[in-house]
Amino acid sequence: MARRPDEEYDYLFKVVLIGDSGVGKSNLLSRFTRNEFCLESKSTIGVEFATRTLQVEGRTVKAQIWDTAGQERYRAITSAYYRGALGALLVYDVTKPTTFENVSRWLKELRDHADANIVIMLIGNKTDLKHLRAVATEDAQSYAEREGLSFIETSALEATNVEKAFQTILSEIYRIISKKSLSSEEPTPANIKEGKTIVVGGSEGNAKKPCCSSS
Amino acid sequence: MVGCEGFRAMLLGKSGGGEELGAFYPIRPECQEDAPRTRFKPRAGKTLSPRRWHAAFSEDGHLDFAKVLRRIQRGGIHPAIKGLVWEFLLGCYDPNSTFEDRNQIRQRRRDQYTIWKAECTNLVPVIGSGKFVTTSIITEDGQPIIDPSTSNAQEWHVNNAVSDKKAIQWMLVLHQIGLDVVRTDRTLVFYESETNQAKLWDILAVYAWVDNDIGYVQGMNDICSPMVILLENEADAFWCFDRAMQRLRENFRCSATSIGVQAQLSTLSQVIKTVDPKLHQHLGICFSSQTLVGLIG
Repeated sequence: MARRPDEEYDYLFKVVLIGDSGVGKSNLLSRFTRNEFCLESKSTIGVEFATRTLQVEGRTVKAQIWDTAGQERYRAITSAYYRGALGALLVYDVTKPTTFENVSRWLKELRDHADANIVIMLIGNKTDLKHLRAVATEDAQSYAEREGLSFIETSALEATNVEKAFQTILSEIYRIISKKSLSSEEPTPANIKEGKTIVVGGSEGNAKKPCCSSS
Repeated sequence: MVGCEGFRAMLLGKSGGGEELGAFYPIRPECQEDAPRTRFKPRAGKTLSPRRWHAAFSEDGHLDFAKVLRRIQRGGIHPAIKGLVWEFLLGCYDPNSTFEDRNQIRQRRRDQYTIWKAECTNLVPVIGSGKFVTTSIITEDGQPIIDPSTSNAQEWHVNNAVSDKKAIQWMLVLHQIGLDVVRTDRTLVFYESETNQAKLWDILAVYAWVDNDIGYVQGMNDICSPMVILLENEADAFWCFDRAMQRLRENFRCSATSIGVQAQLSTLSQVIKTVDPKLHQHLGICFSSQTLVGLIG
């Protein structure tokens, strides 16, 4: 399939955003892919996604980020979306303890449906709401260490650490992928490098919608 | 008459087009950029005006529906009567009924809504208080969760453990409704009012209680929102939403492996395949792959 020069990339990494409803998954996505934040954003229905191509460890990586509805009832369909995901950003809201308590549920969900080698990063979002903080950084940090996850706190509103969070997980994925292809001396699996990007092309328009537009 | 608020709207509404839609559904000034724009332009003489709507009723209230439908299709409905017309379009009332019949039905429905809402308030006192919740109020095993950040929590929330399964299931979804209410049509001035947000929350909460088979699924808020805006009376808005849901509820039915709307998408796929095979081939990638649900978004 012919590809425009601006779409050339070395790797395509699929990453899923998960976590309870209202923790800010969609705004993390829009901050990362379009540098936008929308206070009036709507709830995500089903699944949406957006892409951004960037440099990771000297390689051009197309990050394909899948954003899912947080409501438990949508799990029936969203579980299929873990297929082929190399990374997962598990988001909670630092002002809502229940969203942090539910992190263990989401981990279970990942372990049930995602690839065993998926890279998981725990994200405490909404650090801008300082006066409302209800989950201590140390608690989340030690939880992440126990579970073997990387951890970062972000504010999609203030654009704090959002770039860093995505860069970190993409680098981590890259390191694993490149190590794998070095050790096995085999071509990288099709879903990771090049090829099969048709899925993205079909809905590329999604990424270009203005903030707040009803879809 | 059709209903007292509606009658008032009919009297107040000026006939003919001309008024900007923006005057009826104002957008917050800071959101002008982000609000989706309508391509619909009301045209004077083509729109169903309050005067023409009024004239379409016989003396005892039979509605010449075919006549108004043509006009609605061509030029839309004047905002002043939109709520009233929607009640007929959604099937709340039979156009062949009389004013008297409809008054009785309306009253009966309002009474029924009041009863259901009272059942809900009885379980969760915050319902009907003009406030609503966005954090969990109960654990899965029925233990109340008191959010210390909310004042008057004890008056509003669940205070005792709940054992009834249906009640627990319903209470578990209330904060989800709240989380979506605060994200529904927020570019509109209408939803700057907490009372209006609570009205949307109350209706969705009562609906989830009554239709516990479907309960509440994200997306129902967007269907309910226009009814809340168009119908001043909460019970009337509820019944409009109920009618809309009668057609749409299967889309929201969730099983362990699927959600109802998927069936509709595969029907759509079949239709496109027949009508425009080339387009289907192009979209086939989407329809056959995991991106199926991406199309809903």
